[in-house]
Amino acid sequence: MPDIRLSVNGEAIEESAEARLTLADLLRERLHLTATHLGCEQGVCGACTVLVDGVPVRSCIRFAAACDGQAVQSLEGLEHDPVMEALRAAFTRHHALQCGYCTPGMLIMARDVVLRLPDADPARIRLEMSGNLCRCTGYLGIIEAIHAVILARRG
Amino acid sequence: MKPAPFTYHRAASLEQAVALLAQGGGDTAVLSGGQSLGPMMNLRAARPSQLVDIGRLEALRGISVAEGHVRIGALSTHAAIEDGAVSGPLGRVLARVAAGIAYRAVRNAGTIGGSLAHADPAADWPAALLALDARIHLRGPGGDRAVAIDAFLAGAFETAKAADEVIVAVDVPALGPTARFGYVKFCRKPGEFAEALGAVLYDPGSAQARVVVGATGSRARRLPAAEAGLAAGLSPAAADIAALLAPVLGNPSALVLKRQTAAVHRALQEVLTDA
Amino acid sequence: MSHKGIGASIPRKEDERFLKGRGEYVGDLFRPGLLEVAFVRSPHAHARILGITRPIKGIVYTAADLAAVPPIRAQINLPGYRATEQPILADRKVLFVGQSVAMCLAKSRALAEDLSEEVGVDYEELPPVLDVADALRPDAPRLHEDRPDNLLSVLNAEAPIDAIAAAAPVHVTRHYTNARQAMAPLEGRAILAEWNDRADQLVVHVGHQNPHVFRAALAIALNLEERRIRIIAPDIGGGFGYKAPAYPEEIAVCWAAMKLHRPVRWIEDRFEHLTAGASAREISGTVHAHADAEGRILALDVDFAVNIGAYSFWPHTGAFEAVQAIGIIPGPYRIRHYRARSKTVLTNKPPQTPYRAVARPAACFMMELTIDAVARAVGKEPHEVRALNLVSAAEMPYASITGKLYDSGDYPASLRSALSAIDLPAWRLKQAAPRADGRAIGVGIAMYTEHTGISTNTFGTMGIALMPGYEQANARLTPDGDIEVAMGVQNHGQGMETTMAQVASEVLGIDPGRVRLLHGDTGLTPYSTGTYASRAMVMNGGAVAAACERLAERMRPLAAHLMQCAAHEVGFSGGRATGPGGATVGFGEIGRLWYKTPNELPPGVDPAGLDVTAGYRPEDDRGAFSYSTHVAVVAVDRDFGSVEILDYVVADDCGTRVNPMIVDGQVLGGTAQGIGTALYEECLFDASGQPKSVTLADYILPGPTEIPAIRLLPTETPSPKTRFGIKGVGEGGAIAPAPALLNAINDALRADGVELGAAPATPDRILAAIEIARGARAGAAP
Ligand SMILES: Cc1cc2nc3c(=O)[nH]c(=O)nc-3n(C[C@H](O)[C@H](O)[C@H](O)COP(=O)(O)OP(=O)(O)OC[C@H]3O[C@@H](n4cnc5c(N)ncnc54)[C@H](O)[C@@H]3O)c2cc1C
Repeated sequence: MPDIRLSVNGEAIEESAEARLTLADLLRERLHLTATHLGCEQGVCGACTVLVDGVPVRSCIRFAAACDGQAVQSLEGLEHDPVMEALRAAFTRHHALQCGYCTPGMLIMARDVVLRLPDADPARIRLEMSGNLCRCTGYLGIIEAIHAVILARRG
Repeated sequence: MKPAPFTYHRAASLEQAVALLAQGGGDTAVLSGGQSLGPMMNLRAARPSQLVDIGRLEALRGISVAEGHVRIGALSTHAAIEDGAVSGPLGRVLARVAAGIAYRAVRNAGTIGGSLAHADPAADWPAALLALDARIHLRGPGGDRAVAIDAFLAGAFETAKAADEVIVAVDVPALGPTARFGYVKFCRKPGEFAEALGAVLYDPGSAQARVVVGATGSRARRLPAAEAGLAAGLSPAAADIAALLAPVLGNPSALVLKRQTAAVHRALQEVLTDA
Repeated sequence: MSHKGIGASIPRKEDERFLKGRGEYVGDLFRPGLLEVAFVRSPHAHARILGITRPIKGIVYTAADLAAVPPIRAQINLPGYRATEQPILADRKVLFVGQSVAMCLAKSRALAEDLSEEVGVDYEELPPVLDVADALRPDAPRLHEDRPDNLLSVLNAEAPIDAIAAAAPVHVTRHYTNARQAMAPLEGRAILAEWNDRADQLVVHVGHQNPHVFRAALAIALNLEERRIRIIAPDIGGGFGYKAPAYPEEIAVCWAAMKLHRPVRWIEDRFEHLTAGASAREISGTVHAHADAEGRILALDVDFAVNIGAYSFWPHTGAFEAVQAIGIIPGPYRIRHYRARSKTVLTNKPPQTPYRAVARPAACFMMELTIDAVARAVGKEPHEVRALNLVSAAEMPYASITGKLYDSGDYPASLRSALSAIDLPAWRLKQAAPRADGRAIGVGIAMYTEHTGISTNTFGTMGIALMPGYEQANARLTPDGDIEVAMGVQNHGQGMETTMAQVASEVLGIDPGRVRLLHGDTGLTPYSTGTYASRAMVMNGGAVAAACERLAERMRPLAAHLMQCAAHEVGFSGGRATGPGGATVGFGEIGRLWYKTPNELPPGVDPAGLDVTAGYRPEDDRGAFSYSTHVAVVAVDRDFGSVEILDYVVADDCGTRVNPMIVDGQVLGGTAQGIGTALYEECLFDASGQPKSVTLADYILPGPTEIPAIRLLPTETPSPKTRFGIKGVGEGGAIAPAPALLNAINDALRADGVELGAAPATPDRILAAIEIARGARAGAAP
């Protein structure tokens, strides 16, 4: 049972866990941080996307033990992040969510796109978001919301 | 599904990693980005009894330029390469290949070394690096060795790497100013593995030509006859490509042959037209 | 207050919790002492169970333990239907890969899975029957050995059409298939069951669209009075019909929670969903259309089969798909001679259950591809043939040949609107010009009319366990002057926490932000058959309005007392009660008066209070018909067989739109799922019945690059039958994309001689069709 020390949403965490515990299950089952959702456990659907050392990764196919010493941020930790605040407002305005299950992963990835690709147009946004599946919305609102935030930041 | 139980070791050094692998026997696996291991273990389709995490080893990181080639550390992520970790014309080619692999959140973790070691028959790096004539650097209990990629790729999920060897780096020859690269990956949607794949390197300056078909169900393969034609600046017809592909693909269905032909043909057209 | 009632696109009230990751799904619930479940599932499509060996340690249950739990048995009054018996855990036989055989419980899912690997099941493999033709062969192995054959039901709508058909100058015959799909909500099924001694209740947290109906199912299965069961359906990560039936796994989990007196949780994972839950849309059929030389359809003769899988599901039964399809195949067209025959066939695949719009996508597929085939036969544009056959606005209300009453609408106008948005003449020019990329361009149309708000009248004669009737809602004024509304439907993405508040706002003039919705909890809400069949807004919307109106009646004398006016002079607007001469009084004042200072109330006040339940059913409840025209423009790559959607237009009419933004979202989302049906989604099985698409890497769900920026052209023709003129919209979008896209692909590949009749139009199918057509041409050449 490896002892894992990492920071989650800025807080130092120490857990002893079976090696097979994934980062997603560490967050959900141990820390009860349930914004991170499991949709496929194969890295395909994107619902479990979180930030590890600042970049989006799939928490369903990352072992918690491999995150020792790293800084993990889930949606809970980004509540006051200004980009996230803008995205939340835009998601509501553009009706970019229905059942809400894909939404946390969608937002984490959207934030990365906004920060990494300030010139992205809707076609590029679609490509960059292609690893995040939504079964409800048909994506139009999601793409429009992200584009709106990018445009607003361009000023 | 959750993975079957296993033990986890974070390797403190390359030497230790190799030693752990040598001791562990066949069911010890190296863990790099986990982007292939993770999904398989989550299906219990892979059940290593021990993982040796090499993800933090400095010796496997970094990118350096040497005489005539670029050395890419095995732990370089697809995302780093996509973002231009390798500079110059070669860097642009590699960035393009990397950007077509999986999704950004997967590319942030998945590594070039892991992809080569995994040798998925439909993966991008094996085919692209075969076209680019890469060499794979391995470290095992007996020391270091380097293997040309053509000799490294053995079959579906099979390579010349021994179970106790670790991929340390990949050398890729630099591209000359006149080099052109054609790459056509057909898949059902972005981020999916290829269903047909053509990769072509053509440098009219040095008359260098490599034509590769990937997604073969086995290892990626070169098409020497097409290479000879290309070196002479010839653009083969689709029917000729199909004739070359049929034996390489081993009795492909008409649909597979058609798609593979189109992939290789279009990759060839790309290098021959964008002068 | 600006208008936020019916017709206002206000943002959704439920968004905030989801956007902060604070939604509460079943998987987010934890309990001390929680046990997690993993099922041992059949590796064979058809086998006899010879014996089961349990591990030495660990909690494992098999059919023998659940002997007191009856099998699932769903009844329907249709001639030729006989129910199947589906054991909760397989006992004598397994009938599909993934069927649950044993249940393992441990402290974590991983440990439960470890335990499941230690259970030994001894099988004798039997030959599987996987498709309809195999299943119907006289010597086919029988799934259920007490039945004479593998037929679940035969349903025919007979009519003497042969003479008319024979006399028609134009005959078209086509064969169609729709592949089996998974519904694939992003969250799988999920349940946490626990016994609560204080309440003396089994409390079940479950992702279920119809909590009250599920309670009835559990009552039967567990032999427990309904009062001793409470179903709480919290946030649900998508339903689409998948979470409407009663499945064995949930029943097993509840049984275990009672047996162990401990909380027990099961979360269906994606692998389970794509194997055992691969369960929708597999219908194939042959259509003969007989038309005049202009393309008017004189008679339609349809013969189809539903591959229903291994069992008939509870409550609607497996026969329901055929019922739905037969009723709606003629669609928006004036078809007066119609015969339909159907077989619903049992096979060694997972039980098929209704997916968004049930069998209507297949019905629309058969009709709409046939219209295009007729257009080819008479040498006309497909839209011309449609226009010729559509029921006109002047004919409304229109009694269809299958006995449905199309209540209202202008179908030809819908077609015109969609066509003008797409600019067909311009595409026809582009189509004729050679393209640099060599791709072929095509335009395709599909139309449908959809029976929504289906209620008693439709179900009445069928005698199924779920009989929708009079929907109720409860409304009450809180002491501080806000409104609480309780309803028996469940909201899982449809935005009902917002739209139902808008209905309350419409009636009471209160800001929707001050209306709290309670739903998805049998302990707190009036009975409802739940959220399915595009009924919630029609039926529950009417009930919420009725409850708020009754509440207003109760509030009126109190407001009158406060304003010292007559009760009939009191109105409601701007979140206040209004009286003569500009007098107003806040709802908070009314609440204070009633609850906190009743001493101030006048004598003779009605003691019934400010908490009312009222119900609704349209006087004529034969349903309200939404309708739509989808037009798709595609480019087909003839080498790879891939399809790119260049443009997609939806002209949709669902009557009065309570919240247009939310309606648009339903149409967009439904259309996206339909695009999956059309081009990507298919549960593949090998010859032994092993599922081959078991992860989302193999079972392709369309992502942001596969769904185009769909353009919507909404119109509103209020239904004369329903409160506010609302028609249902939840399912519609999913109906038409497959025929629209297949028609577009066939249009693109017309020169190649290709006419595909199978969905999804995968690259393999398209390439194969091109190759076959090429071969046929070569063979035909002299
Ligand atoms: C959703 C999804 C989509 C994908 N799409 C694509 C795609 O389109 N194209 C594509 O090419 N790939 C795709 N992949 C695979 C991805 O590229 C993986 O990252 C890569 O194949 C493995 O790299 P890794 O570092 O994650 O290796 P790991 O998963 O850690 O390891 C993979 C295998 O290689 C071994 N290994 C790893 N590193 C070394 C080393 N340095 N020396 C020796 N052995 C080693 C491991 O023991 C294991 O057997 C996809 C993956 C996912 C999850």
